[in-house]
Amino acid sequence: MASSSQASLLLQKQLKDLCKSPVDGFSAGLVDENNLFEWSVTIIGPPDTLYEGGFFNAIMTFPKDYPNSPPTVRFTSEIWHPNDGKVCISILHPPGDDPNGYELASERWSPVHTVESIVLSIISMLSSPNDESPANVEAAKEWRESRDQFRKRVSRCVRRSQEML
Amino acid sequence: MDSDEDLLDAYDGDSAEDYYYSGGDSDVDDYIAGGDEDEDDGGDCGYASDDDSTLRSEKVYTVLKVSDIQQRQEESISHVSSVLSISRVAACVLLCHYKWNVSQLHDEWFADEEKVRRTVGLLSRPVVQFPNAKELTCGICFESHPLDQIHSAVCGHPYCTTCWKGYITTSINDGPGCLLLRCPDPSCRASVGQDMILKLASDEDKEKYSRYFVRSYIEDKKKTKWCPAPGCENAVEFELGSNIYDVTCLCSHGFCWNCTEEAHRPVDCGTVSKWILKNSAESENMNWILANSKPCPKCKRPIEKNQGCMHMTCTPPCKFEFCWLCLGAWSDHGERTGGFYACNRYEAAKQEGLYDEAERRREMAKNSLERYTHYYERWASNQTSRQKAIADLHQMQTVHLEKLSDKLKEPESQLKFVIEAWQQIIECRRVLKWTYAYGYYLPEHEHAKKQLFEYLQGEAEAGLERLHQCAEKELLVFLGDDEPQADFKTFRPKLAGLTRVTRSYFENLVRALENGLSDVNTQPACSTSISSKNADGAGKGKGGKGKGSTSRSGRNAARDGDDDDHWNCDRCTYANPDSVSSCQMCHNER
Repeated sequence: MASSSQASLLLQKQLKDLCKSPVDGFSAGLVDENNLFEWSVTIIGPPDTLYEGGFFNAIMTFPKDYPNSPPTVRFTSEIWHPNDGKVCISILHPPGDDPNGYELASERWSPVHTVESIVLSIISMLSSPNDESPANVEAAKEWRESRDQFRKRVSRCVRRSQEML
Repeated sequence: MDSDEDLLDAYDGDSAEDYYYSGGDSDVDDYIAGGDEDEDDGGDCGYASDDDSTLRSEKVYTVLKVSDIQQRQEESISHVSSVLSISRVAACVLLCHYKWNVSQLHDEWFADEEKVRRTVGLLSRPVVQFPNAKELTCGICFESHPLDQIHSAVCGHPYCTTCWKGYITTSINDGPGCLLLRCPDPSCRASVGQDMILKLASDEDKEKYSRYFVRSYIEDKKKTKWCPAPGCENAVEFELGSNIYDVTCLCSHGFCWNCTEEAHRPVDCGTVSKWILKNSAESENMNWILANSKPCPKCKRPIEKNQGCMHMTCTPPCKFEFCWLCLGAWSDHGERTGGFYACNRYEAAKQEGLYDEAERRREMAKNSLERYTHYYERWASNQTSRQKAIADLHQMQTVHLEKLSDKLKEPESQLKFVIEAWQQIIECRRVLKWTYAYGYYLPEHEHAKKQLFEYLQGEAEAGLERLHQCAEKELLVFLGDDEPQADFKTFRPKLAGLTRVTRSYFENLVRALENGLSDVNTQPACSTSISSKNADGAGKGKGGKGKGSTSRSGRNAARDGDDDDHWNCDRCTYANPDSVSSCQMCHNER
């Protein structure tokens, strides 16, 4: 199988498309010009959310058998969110049996997903956190129990992210 | 037992299905164990009891070869495809979804066909169509491809050959989930049928896929399981509802259908798994180290004393020299201690209670290890004997029987009693082996049960030893080239008799263990007679410890009933004098 070259071709094509016609809400590029498998993505905090106005960096790492397996996404900016750190959303989970049993197969990874659809999913995750399977338990607890506290910490992250620019 | 209930539940769910197989059953009747190979199975000879219906009188399972499985799959597929008037591919998808439960599939299909189609992903018509396109864009790589390189499931979502291949390969390599593959589009639940997979997958993947397909028939159903013997490809279908799980595959491997360990009747699955875990557990090694070694006082590495003298030198790099008895530095052992090899500080220190704790732990570990070793040794040597007996039986059947028949001028059918003896030996070794695991877990304080058990086990074991010796040694005389001294006419009834006697001993043992040795609890009258028998049984059987307690309880049981100044403990049946309010043996309150 020419899977590795299929992955390169597909990633190259997506990169070209995103440069030519950028999508609102994020910008994407390579971490290292010579490595198509590691992308640096900057997500702009979506309007009408706690994250509005923030600039959050994340690294997307693609496996050699992309698009048959999902990439991993990790936030490098500080972002106070129940699902921060290594981003844990259902479409980034490999298909097949869900070990925890609460995600439908249709919500999970499928080769039709692109950088664009993944980032859009992450943006929607920012506005509606999934506190049922949190990566950051502390943030999830705060989000659920003391929303004001949570709001303050997010604002601090947003401000810091703007200062970093 | 939990698993029993599960199985019974499963039975309720699956029972209706049998109706659909009533036609097919005749094809596999040949393999219904209970026919010819009955004679190969020592187990049945052992338990084919004349009137006791709780013992196995007929087999309740069917061995399925790969060809049988395929044939049954084939029948289900054709049946479903003709009854529902759908394609074979669609029938396969449905059957995989419904875990080959034809009746449930029928019920749900005829109740609400649309709903079944929706859940399973059998669309009636495409959701997208491109009637006049010459080229289509693949939904994965977004390249345009001519139509002959574009494929789609019934839904019509177009993907190119390369992307489909990648998708299918990934899914097949992910495991049996590939049998329920769906269109890559997340919003589309259309199933990807076998036809498409076989068209696009590599040969290697196709083979994997078909293997998963066959496996699903066995693994998805609750009443079928693979034979666990290495290399054996047969499966066993078990009539749920029976509580005797021992089955014998056509490959001659006997196993417990419930836990798939080797056959272990009359010992239950829980005890067996505990025992197996214990045998493999690192904890036994730890116990040994604790009991037989001491840590070097300097570097703390465990040291085993393997020579006589007490002057220990730890291995490099430590090289610490110390005294084994007191663990003090050897340099202290000058004239003060009365010479190098006579450390008196050990006893002195012990009296002061200095070493008590460590010493006590070591002692306890040693006792528990000794107890375990006692049972393990017997378990393991019966296992070895059984292996040897299996080899001997094979040798007998393939070589010696013919020779013997020539020599004695007897037809082989007249020598069947020899084979039967060996089969009995093999089965008995197996039972005996597992009774040692049973014995290990029999609670110490249940004295009466323990005595009954050890008595029955002792009787059975003694019988088996006589039988094994007779079959192994005394038969040799007739196999040699010399004219036999002994008379074969007297040998025949002897061996046949021993076989019969041993069988009945083991039947008693198995029956007693299977009802949890309840005789001693429920019927005091019975326990009296057993205990009195016990007194002579103990002489043959176990070591000094058993003997001591035997005589004690035997005496008490005999007193039971005719002496009014005693009460019998509810838990261990020990007869206590009226003057005490809790049992002297197990401390149970009166």
